[in-house]
Amino acid sequence: MKLQASSPQDNQPSNTTNNSTDSNHLSMDEHAMRSMDWDSIMKELEVDDDSAPYQLQPSSFNLPVFPDIDSSDVYPGPNQITGYGFNSLDSVDNGGFDYIEDLIRVVDCIESDELHLAHVVLSQLNQRLQTSAGRPLQRAAFYFKEALGSLLTGTNRNQLFSWSDIVQKIRAIKEFSGISPIPLFSHFTANQAILDSLSSQSSSPFVHVVDFEIGFGGQYASLMREIAEKSANGGFLRVTAVVAEDCAVETRLVKENLTQFAAEMKIRFQIEFVLMKTFEILSFKAIRFVDGERTVVLISPAIFRRVIGIAEFVNNLGRVSPNVVVFVDSEGCTETAGSGSFRREFVSAFEFYTMVLESLDAAAPPGDLVKKIVETFLLRPKISAAVETAANRRSAGQMTWREMLCAAGMRPVQLSQFADFQAECLLEKAQVRGFHVAKRQGELVLCWHGRALVATSAWRF
Amino acid sequence: MYSAIRSSLPLDGSMGEYSDGTNLPVDACLVLTTDPKPRLRWTSELHERFVDAVTQLGGPDKATPKTIMRTMGVKGLTLYHLKSHLQKFRQGRQLCKESTENSKDVSCAAESQDTGSSSTSSLRLAAQEQNESYQVTEALRAQMEVQRRLHEQLEYGQVQRRLQLRIEAQGKYLQSVLEKACKAIEDQAVAFAGLEAAREELSELAIKVSNGSQVPFHTTKMTVPSLSELAVAIEHKNNCSAESSLTSIPVSATLMKRHRGVFRNGESVVVGHETGWVMPSSSLG
Repeated sequence: MKLQASSPQDNQPSNTTNNSTDSNHLSMDEHAMRSMDWDSIMKELEVDDDSAPYQLQPSSFNLPVFPDIDSSDVYPGPNQITGYGFNSLDSVDNGGFDYIEDLIRVVDCIESDELHLAHVVLSQLNQRLQTSAGRPLQRAAFYFKEALGSLLTGTNRNQLFSWSDIVQKIRAIKEFSGISPIPLFSHFTANQAILDSLSSQSSSPFVHVVDFEIGFGGQYASLMREIAEKSANGGFLRVTAVVAEDCAVETRLVKENLTQFAAEMKIRFQIEFVLMKTFEILSFKAIRFVDGERTVVLISPAIFRRVIGIAEFVNNLGRVSPNVVVFVDSEGCTETAGSGSFRREFVSAFEFYTMVLESLDAAAPPGDLVKKIVETFLLRPKISAAVETAANRRSAGQMTWREMLCAAGMRPVQLSQFADFQAECLLEKAQVRGFHVAKRQGELVLCWHGRALVATSAWRF
Repeated sequence: MYSAIRSSLPLDGSMGEYSDGTNLPVDACLVLTTDPKPRLRWTSELHERFVDAVTQLGGPDKATPKTIMRTMGVKGLTLYHLKSHLQKFRQGRQLCKESTENSKDVSCAAESQDTGSSSTSSLRLAAQEQNESYQVTEALRAQMEVQRRLHEQLEYGQVQRRLQLRIEAQGKYLQSVLEKACKAIEDQAVAFAGLEAAREELSELAIKVSNGSQVPFHTTKMTVPSLSELAVAIEHKNNCSAESSLTSIPVSATLMKRHRGVFRNGESVVVGHETGWVMPSSSLG
């Protein structure tokens, strides 16, 4: 039922600006290590005892030795073109990670506004990274390359255009929840933080959750179940979801399904939707609050994509006096300060999603169709969004979200032992080796081989 | 409780001495609880191997979970298991150390006073009492530890149950969302196929009308015809006129087939509906 020309399953390179002449320009690979970022990537991706080691296959020919080139001289003369990288299909494995260097080069070009050059390098990359197959690093490189392509051509290929796309996305979420502990950890830890905040005081049973990233509403199923069990005479739950403008279809689905589920759980339930655009203008005034309700606000790094003034956002948050603010970071934001550098944020996101892909490989057998679905319909859009965010937020000197919350007068709330146990339990059930749970600074963190994948924390004024 | 009792029972499936730690069988099994989802239980045998490995590596401060794992060579044992166990072990050792230091101080004091005093027996008695009270404290501490762990186990069991329920709730919900979305596709497919067919029919008839060929009686109205009417019209047309240069019989046959396939119930389709499929929300209920 795909009626638009572009679809998420189209793996052809999106850059059609290159002609045959352009694609023959070979940007000479610089063998001098350019930056610390490069070193840190290599260190992070070092062979670990516990994970499958990266098998660098032996190259079928010797790597040609290039002369040292001045970094400003990118266009070589025609006599320097060799066949390296274009003739053999397994060039992706040879020379290891040259495509990462090129990716970063594209990023630099975009940052310094040399868009034509960016196109050129990207078109070469399109030759080299043609499929989303292979090891996590390669797949990440492919998705990030695609994201850069979209950025350059200004297209957003990740909108859900048809019901078929939506079905695939729901299926991706479902499958992902089944094989990896990542989505369930995010939802259940957040839910537990909410439940803990409700049980501490013996006041009203009316709960109002403000959610900035409701997705398909999966989180509320288990929350509703808990609310139904805890209250003797039927519970109450009211949700206000702040949604993007192009989510009309998902919104309908969410409303129908949550309403039906609540009816089955015998909970009195209400859900309202507020457009993100409206929220950007009116802030929390766009949301209806009722006296006597206990307010919970769920935020994630997605909010930082839309809201310009984060300090203002947090201040307005204070005026709403929420019972608890739960922050779920499943995008690795806690690692980066607001560095203001597209390159640094790009590299950080690249490392992060490589980890996620690795963990996916550990959770599912190689070549599994489920993985493909999850990657295509769930991870790829996230990667695109991350690249776009990194490109847009170039203002330096931003505080991290944690600093901002503290500056606004919020303090972290200790998560309960129940939340700890639940996380441990979840990992046992998932039975994927390599995950573990850690606590740091009041956060409960799901880690993959020591790297944080999801960090959940609760805050109060 | 880290008992120092050496058990003579071998681990499941394993045999052999491990007193010096060099010939640990590699494929020894872990003892897991019989819950639906297994949780590692630190039996005394397993703990023995742990202690041996740690000693080999130079003590709990030198050993790391990774090296312990390699040394122990027990399948299924993860870094996570070892990390928490090592931490507890270190804490336990710390407690023991402190208490032994205390008792050492006490006995030292007793000894030093012993040499110079005449009432040695009373001092020795005092030392003995100290020792006993220390033992009692230790026993209490151990008991509290056991109770705490039992309590934890109970809570953990509760958490396991709740988690299972939550996972089921979420799964059930996602399943219903998926089904609703799939149903919407089906509805869309039905409507779409019908509209496509209707559109083709109409364009065919329009061509015939503009060519001045004979148009069957039923369609001259050109209002909203049902597809069954259109089907009849085409059949009629094919039967009547020889000027069917624009309709080839195979084509109409295909069209007929499609009608039958899609409109088994004889539904009529509202023709002329704006097929703005880009935002399907407008057309689906």
